[in-house]
Amino acid sequence: MSPSRRVSWLERLEALGRVLEDGLLVVGLGALVLIASGQILLRNVFSIGLVWADGALRLIVLWLALLGAMAASRDNRHIAITVIDRFLPDGLRRAAFVVRQLFTSAVCAALAWYSWLFVRDSREFGDTLLGDWPAWWFQIVMPVAFALIAYRYLLRALGALRPAR
Amino acid sequence: MAGSSVFLVLLALIGAPLFAIIAAGAMIGFSREEIDLSVLAIEFFGIAETPVLVAIPLFTFAGFLLSEGKAPQRLVRLSRALLGWLPGGLAMISLAVCALFTAFTGASGVTIIALGALLYPALVEAGYERRFSLGLITTSGSLGLLFAPSLPLILYGVVAETPIDDLFLAGILPGLLMVALLAGYGFIRNRHTATPPAGAREVLAAVLEAKWELPLPVVVLGGIYSGYFAISEAAAVTALYVLVVEMLVLREIRWRELPRIVRESMVLVGAILTILGMSLASTNYLIDTGVPQRLFELTSQYVSGPRTFLVALLVFLLILGAILDIFSAIVLVVPLIVPVAVGYGVDPIHLGIVFLAAMELGYLTPPVGLNLFIASHRFQQDIVHVYLATVPFLLVLLVSVVIITFWPALSLVFVG
Repeated sequence: MSPSRRVSWLERLEALGRVLEDGLLVVGLGALVLIASGQILLRNVFSIGLVWADGALRLIVLWLALLGAMAASRDNRHIAITVIDRFLPDGLRRAAFVVRQLFTSAVCAALAWYSWLFVRDSREFGDTLLGDWPAWWFQIVMPVAFALIAYRYLLRALGALRPAR
Repeated sequence: MAGSSVFLVLLALIGAPLFAIIAAGAMIGFSREEIDLSVLAIEFFGIAETPVLVAIPLFTFAGFLLSEGKAPQRLVRLSRALLGWLPGGLAMISLAVCALFTAFTGASGVTIIALGALLYPALVEAGYERRFSLGLITTSGSLGLLFAPSLPLILYGVVAETPIDDLFLAGILPGLLMVALLAGYGFIRNRHTATPPAGAREVLAAVLEAKWELPLPVVVLGGIYSGYFAISEAAAVTALYVLVVEMLVLREIRWRELPRIVRESMVLVGAILTILGMSLASTNYLIDTGVPQRLFELTSQYVSGPRTFLVALLVFLLILGAILDIFSAIVLVVPLIVPVAVGYGVDPIHLGIVFLAAMELGYLTPPVGLNLFIASHRFQQDIVHVYLATVPFLLVLLVSVVIITFWPALSLVFVG
């Protein structure tokens, strides 16, 4: 496979990932708004409560948090202390960049692995949420998101290590 | 222990994301205690077990959506029509409008970007000194953190496990004190800059133009303070209301802009909640190993009474605020200092207000205050120029923070 074809394949995957991220964020936030306000309407007008609604809202927040974290990784907008960077000489700044990308990638890879263990246990024990839905269906977002964030930071580190042409 | 801490601090200083630093710290700690590291995932899942967090994405989205439309323009026009005739009136307007706006957008820099672009030229045009105007706008960008439903107040309530409604009540007078002292300073500096009063016709026109935004603070604040809405319900109503008004009634934002706005707001939510999720684990580790207890024993050797404690706390918070952003500071530091403060007889609600008020100064403290950078970037001004323009306002705010710290009743008078 030639390098140029591989790049374009990766780029297409990146674009697809971004669309998917945005789509899921819109759907998730939309559901959050509708379920939360629908619940108020039902309770005050019809005196009905949806048993699953509160649990669902909290799970949507978890999903939004992790999707938002993925988006923040893509846009490089996680909260960090960025003071010292601007005072470093060029070479050192590049080294610092690579070190922190690799560090973050390693931490997220570990988080992905341990969340996977958590999900696996939850599946084996047959944990359920929102009535009797398997809990791991909702929890699986954790290992997936952390793995993708790890991938994102690794990619950025490799990008900086590659000699500029 | 010391070796790995130094290593992590170093990584944080070269700009590694704070959530990764906290996660790494928790992993090192738990593995030393030989606890299975899946505990991190279990703790992170706690995000899905904390009902009030539902409010955070909803309020953040509503705030971002409001700042994208023309709501800021209408708000400025209305307050100008109402207060513009006062000496130093436009300065007061800037403070009041920014405080209100920041309460909804959570001091993420949105205020300076959305309102600064309107208010800065208006101030200069009305004869206010450029330097004064720059300092004022930079300062206003984080004013209003103490008013409901600001994100830092909610986050403090979650982390300190104190009732958020009480925090909302406790923030009112200290928040007003900050606005009032700054307005007083604006008045002293600009007694001669009154503009002719707006006619009744302009007032009416401005009210009518803002008729869709005006009910919002009433519904949200009235709903929460009267106990009619839970906080997450008020957030849902706000988000739905703003969505319907901006997209269907006024149609100021195009539908294809919506995914970008959703993404922008959820990037902030994701960044905050990931830090929170990681700190749920690290905090548990610190408490299990008795760190707050040891911290209290250590401080009580040097700090004798509650008053001395508050002095030490204030100095500590001002330094902390200069280094760390408000969200990270809340999730990292609050779990440690609440037990210590309670040990000295400081009310956790009062502590929360002091904490946030002091962190508000952090937005303006050189060299790293966030507002300084945003203002420098937004108004194309040299950063040192922004530092100098902001210093007088910083001092005024410092006075108000000292008053808030040593006058607990100001925070606690409405809290039952």
